[in-house]
Amino acid sequence: MATATEQWVLVEMAPAYHLILEGILILWIIRLLFSKTYKLQERSDLTVKEKEELIEEWQPEPLVPPVPKDHPALNYNIVSGPPSHKTVVNGKECINFASFNFLGLLDNPRVKAAALASLKKYGVGTCGPRGFYGTFDVHLDLEDRLAKFMKTEEAIIYSYGFATIASAIPAYSKRGDIVFVDRAACFAIQKGLQASRSDIKLFKHNDMADLERLLKEQEIEDQKNPRKARVTRRFIVVEGLYMNTGTICPLPELVKLKYKYKARIFLEESLSFGVLGEHGRGVTEHYGINIDDIDLISANMENALASIGGFCCGRSFVIDHQRLSGQGYCFSASLPPLLAAAAIEALNIMEENPGIFAVLKEKCGQIHKALQGISGLKVVGESLSPAFHLQLEESTGSREQDVRLLQEIVDQCMNRSIALTQARYLEKEEKCLPPPSIRVVVTVEQTEEELERAASTIKEVAQAVLL
Amino acid sequence: MRPEPGGCCCRRTVRANGCVANGEVRNGYVRSSAAAAAAAAAGQDFVSLYQDFENFYTRNLYMRIRDNWNRPICSVPGARVDIMERQSHDYNWSFKYTGNIIKGVINMGSYNYLGFARNTGSCQEAAAKVLEEYGAGVCSTRQEIGNLDKHEELEELVARFLGVEAAMAYGMGFATNSMNIPALVGKGCLILSDELNHASLVLGARLSGATIRIFKHNNMQSLEKLLKDAIVYGQPRTRRPWKKILILVEGIYSMEGSIVRLPEVIALKKKYKAYLYLDEAHSIGALGPTGRGVVEYFGLDPEDVDVMMGTFTKSFGASGGYIGGKKELIDYLRTHSHSAVYATSLSPPVVEQIITSMKCIMGQDGTSLGKECVQQLAENTRYFRRRLKEMGFIIYGNEDSPVVPLMLYMPAKIGAFGREMLKRNIGVVVVGFPATPIIESRARFCLSAAHTKEILDTALKEIDEVGDLLQLKYSRHRLVPLLDRPFDETTYEETED
Repeated sequence: MATATEQWVLVEMAPAYHLILEGILILWIIRLLFSKTYKLQERSDLTVKEKEELIEEWQPEPLVPPVPKDHPALNYNIVSGPPSHKTVVNGKECINFASFNFLGLLDNPRVKAAALASLKKYGVGTCGPRGFYGTFDVHLDLEDRLAKFMKTEEAIIYSYGFATIASAIPAYSKRGDIVFVDRAACFAIQKGLQASRSDIKLFKHNDMADLERLLKEQEIEDQKNPRKARVTRRFIVVEGLYMNTGTICPLPELVKLKYKYKARIFLEESLSFGVLGEHGRGVTEHYGINIDDIDLISANMENALASIGGFCCGRSFVIDHQRLSGQGYCFSASLPPLLAAAAIEALNIMEENPGIFAVLKEKCGQIHKALQGISGLKVVGESLSPAFHLQLEESTGSREQDVRLLQEIVDQCMNRSIALTQARYLEKEEKCLPPPSIRVVVTVEQTEEELERAASTIKEVAQAVLL
Repeated sequence: MRPEPGGCCCRRTVRANGCVANGEVRNGYVRSSAAAAAAAAAGQDFVSLYQDFENFYTRNLYMRIRDNWNRPICSVPGARVDIMERQSHDYNWSFKYTGNIIKGVINMGSYNYLGFARNTGSCQEAAAKVLEEYGAGVCSTRQEIGNLDKHEELEELVARFLGVEAAMAYGMGFATNSMNIPALVGKGCLILSDELNHASLVLGARLSGATIRIFKHNNMQSLEKLLKDAIVYGQPRTRRPWKKILILVEGIYSMEGSIVRLPEVIALKKKYKAYLYLDEAHSIGALGPTGRGVVEYFGLDPEDVDVMMGTFTKSFGASGGYIGGKKELIDYLRTHSHSAVYATSLSPPVVEQIITSMKCIMGQDGTSLGKECVQQLAENTRYFRRRLKEMGFIIYGNEDSPVVPLMLYMPAKIGAFGREMLKRNIGVVVVGFPATPIIESRARFCLSAAHTKEILDTALKEIDEVGDLLQLKYSRHRLVPLLDRPFDETTYEETED
């Protein structure tokens, strides 16, 4: 207290000019604190009139650029009636070699009956997302059945095949995480990765050495910054059977790399579910790998199951997270019950006749062999892939010209009652655009005679067009 | 002008939310004891898949009241629905089905605006016939071999319904936005998006790579300022002019119940030469004298809206989405939309349901059922909203919007309201954070043309009781109740209580 009074005495004894100066400085500080901050834009000296002129003069681009009338993708093939084994395309009856109806379940009477029963009970739409009275007992049944079929703890279904993997990846992988993905990954995976904002590292298609190199590089990075590495999640995203190349992924080596470098595997099995493996469980059954080694399996039900939608399966710890974080699950209406019922019946049929997978495999092998040695076209894809490509052996140099040639082949095959299609891509959006090709799809409904006829037709037409 | 609750209600809400933070303290104990177990489970030192703070809210608030969501049903989602009873013995971490079915619950949660969610009638019969003929799936994309004659028929009908030149249909409403906005705009373009836009619009805008700027909800001054600044100052740093500007708005906002100020938005769009993308997910079929949506509601020309998007899930009782507009736009989308190239097309019975219900609304099926449904919905909306306001609840949104949010504010009341209403056989939807701001939790009612006056009166009676029980009548305005002429157009006086 004594020192305080001393201090006051000192202040009173200070010279007047000192006090005045301090007072002015304090007032100046207060003024600076309360004055407006210096804005760069306001110094831009544009008058109101100049702003109005700028607004007048600005011309936007048209909303969409004009599309030339002969754009190859503008006019679609019109299929009258069901797209089943024998279909009517553009008015001509053809044998279908273009729909992904691998197990022929599209016009199976049992599947139709189950869907009809569900339609009579529930109507068509669900009128709500899963969280708000859009969860039907059929959905819970289907999830249960899929989990049991794939021998995992839990499964979750989506109402759209594309949205399945595109919502699953961003639910787990966020900004700052690292994803190693194959170059030939399909567009849905690319969109999922884009939405996740993670670091993407592409490795050469099916090249495990390249992947290992990238993983090693990442390991070295991690050692430089261990604190960051402890919170950076790592994922490897691959497909069981690649849609763009028809090849199978080397899953045993991937599992080894997973445990060595501590990266989680997300497996996209749209093409291999219901195709590979003794019971159709996909590429894990094909290689005999324990399903718990794969963290997430995602597949769509639009190929082998001939329904609509998709599912993810895996451990409950992993799958349950999507029920709150999967955008396509939480913010979208649920799958119409009739499509879920159709999928359940399709699963029943798959479980009752495990022999169809061997039949499909045999037919794939047969047509694969028959299509070898066409002059000008090469078969891209493995012999056990039911959806493979025919590419030009030698490109003409311009993609447009290639596309036109292949379209000519497709049109002529169509005239001879073999329905084929070109594989369609968005040329400007794909990360690694595959070369143009004709997609050939094998189903169990095609007889041996039809397969032979298709092979010989393609051979003849290719010879006529390309030579 | 939005009604506001009293100040002390806001303070209590904030304190209640603060109590949830207690969870952090509990977490400390749980973490240390479960650390050993977690280490064993996570196994082999992988980086953990989820961070603690990411699901703090989920574990501490959502889990406790989780029984209000994902309620499984086992009947048509019409005016009344059957809910499967669930029980939990571990505080909602897992559920068991008792096998009981709660029958005849009044359904105030499904998006069934025009009452087309039916399992009998002409729509269902037509869909059944198409299912027999075509099957359930399609197994191919539009550009390959999945374009059926049914799809062409549907698109032509949608174009006629909306009054536009052409239309295109897609398999999922969410995907319609997330796959087509990136096809329309890209880098160097500007997107002006409303604050409260749906997740699909936000995702589509993000995936496009364009610059996104947000304007305040339905606030035309905010939008105009953004437009002016965008054109005058151009792109940030380089000052290059923007290639194009796209305004993203919705017809009815599903969490607010508000209707977009369409005439003003169109006037601004014309003045500044921007493009308008209107998402009519909730408003198509639900607004307008013949159910043509928000454009008809305001009496405007559909050609003024550059991109008219909507979904078939809500008013048509099916699934999927569409985009309508000029022929050049649709031609471009046919060639460049992600969905046309990579995603499976609509399932045929679903297409037939849409065709039949749309023809019914247009009156082309020879009955006046469509017109009656549209009128019934408008009457139900006006009646329900007026009665709730009279009771003293705070209701957001426009008078004509069939989406009716009733404010709860306190986080504890979210669970309480949902459960009390189910006890009284009424199924409602309650929403909290993160779908709404953290202090503005609400219950949302979706009205339907299938609701009769008796159903509405029963529901209103129960809501009144629960409102008294939970002290939800926050409104400081008390309306003088009108005589029982529920569909009167005259204005009423508001008296201060």
